Amino acid sequence: MRPLLNEVQLLEDYLKGTLPEEQQLDVAVRLLWDQELQQKLARQRLAYKALRLFGRRQLRAELEAIHTRLFG
Amino acid sequence: MISIQSLSMNAALLTDRERTLERIYAKTYPMVRHYVKENSGTDDDAKDIFQEALITYYEKVVYDQLTLTSSLSTYLMGICKNLWRQELDKRARKTWLSEAPIDEVGEEVIVDDEQPTATLMAFVEQLGETCRSLLVSFYYFGQRLEQIAEQHSYRSVRSATVQKFKCLERLRKAVSHLSINQFKL
Repeated sequence: MRPLLNEVQLLEDYLKGTLPEEQQLDVAVRLLWDQELQQKLARQRLAYKALRLFGRRQLRAELEAIHTRLFG
Repeated sequence: MISIQSLSMNAALLTDRERTLERIYAKTYPMVRHYVKENSGTDDDAKDIFQEALITYYEKVVYDQLTLTSSLSTYLMGICKNLWRQELDKRARKTWLSEAPIDEVGEEVIVDDEQPTATLMAFVEQLGETCRSLLVSFYYFGQRLEQIAEQHSYRSVRSATVQKFKCLERLRKAVSHLSINQFKL
């Protein structure tokens, strides 16, 4: 994978807390001084939030369709 | 205590969402509707809170790996009763408030949080069908990459994984416009 994608994955694993302990700590320390990384993390969080909102709306639409099919 | 039934229900929910939800809907909605209508609600009220409960349940299965110790109907009914009680409280308060005199300072304090929500969703919309469907299937609907790879005809799980991170990176880039404005001090 390209380095950029590796970084996206790294931040995802960091947020999930699934990195090996040493690496988890590494990222935490880097986040203390690396403003660019901080920003990337904040944006990635927003991206997950966007997906959750979008998914929820889609699920709601699917349920509406089921409701109409079953109970008109 | 983990029931086998609840585990297979969770699996079915993720791999065969539409049919599983339809089965749950057909079985449980009539009970919820009965309860809400007995407690001064309408069909529409029942539909709203039942769908809310199903969304809560779905998200709990995906994000918290929920396993039920009671039957699903009992669980959903419990959520619905809570939601309906809250809704009735809210309505009672509203009536009381609308009859109470409004002081000038207390007016117009409604915070508009709709806008960022809509903007965030628009970024997902703009991704294009392939990325959107891949990301939403994985991150919201909790589908496994194996299934996603098959449905989207990726050569392998590995290439679906790479694609997933590419798409996520695109979304991250897109939301940066918003985060700059939002986080400006």
